Amino acid sequence: MKITVSINLGGYSFNIDEDAYAELKRYLKNLEIHFAGEESSSEILLDIEARMSELFRARLNSYKHVITMEDVRNAISILGTPEDISDSETTSARDKFSSPGYHRMYRDPDHRVIGGVCAGMGAYWNIEPWIVRIIFFVLAMMGGLGVVVYLILYIVLPEAKTTAQKIEMKGHPVNIHNIKESVKKEFENVRKNMKL
Amino acid sequence: MDLENTKAQMRKGILEYCILSILSRNSCYASDIIKELKDARVIVVEGTLYPLLTRQKNAGLLSYRWEESLQGPPRKYYELTPEGREYLKDLDNSWNELVESVNLIRAK
Repeated sequence: MKITVSINLGGYSFNIDEDAYAELKRYLKNLEIHFAGEESSSEILLDIEARMSELFRARLNSYKHVITMEDVRNAISILGTPEDISDSETTSARDKFSSPGYHRMYRDPDHRVIGGVCAGMGAYWNIEPWIVRIIFFVLAMMGGLGVVVYLILYIVLPEAKTTAQKIEMKGHPVNIHNIKESVKKEFENVRKNMKL
Repeated sequence: MDLENTKAQMRKGILEYCILSILSRNSCYASDIIKELKDARVIVVEGTLYPLLTRQKNAGLLSYRWEESLQGPPRKYYELTPEGREYLKDLDNSWNELVESVNLIRAK
């Protein structure tokens, strides 16, 4: 026995297994993220939902009334995952949605010990922040130069607040794919912290 | 070099052209377009079509109207705008040129 959910997809109502519903919801959410930068993205999603409803209807008959996981997987394989879709999209269309790969230095608030200056420099040069910290510490011990430089950098460098800035800090191009990856990582971090 | 990747790159460029060509004959419902593209094996996953249709519509090459359907909710029928026809004519010419160029090289 399984619980089913009733949904409205493309103007039709379907009874769908609970697990299949979760899978469908996840897929549509991913598509939404994929098309987020696009003009009229909600229109594209509605068109895809209408097609999905057509594919579902083709799989129902007088003996089969409920959409199962297999039906959802079948429809996804026909419509394609966001990755499949972007693989076959024209490159010009994709580049439109990513700014050129900026690489800027920021203060990194997520990995800071004092003000995030060393963590930001580490992220910028892709080196371990502790190496930068040791250099600053040694410079601070030798006449205090490290302290002065640190303070100046603290004032001059902006803090990486948005996801886009955090991606720029590491020198990756800011596009939907990278933002998605970064948000996913942050979400996992939060979840890990909650468990501790 | 990856053969599959090269093939995908080739398909990309002609997909937009194929959509406009299909619509130049008569107005179509998205699933009809998909069927033709699939029969002609120029499309792999269907999801690729919808953003392209919307982009072409936003660029003024296509328009659509809602048409009642016997089997359920109204359907979107796409058709070429006069601008789209002009655009397609240009593409027809450049396609012919391309085919000629490739044939010229292969014939040597």
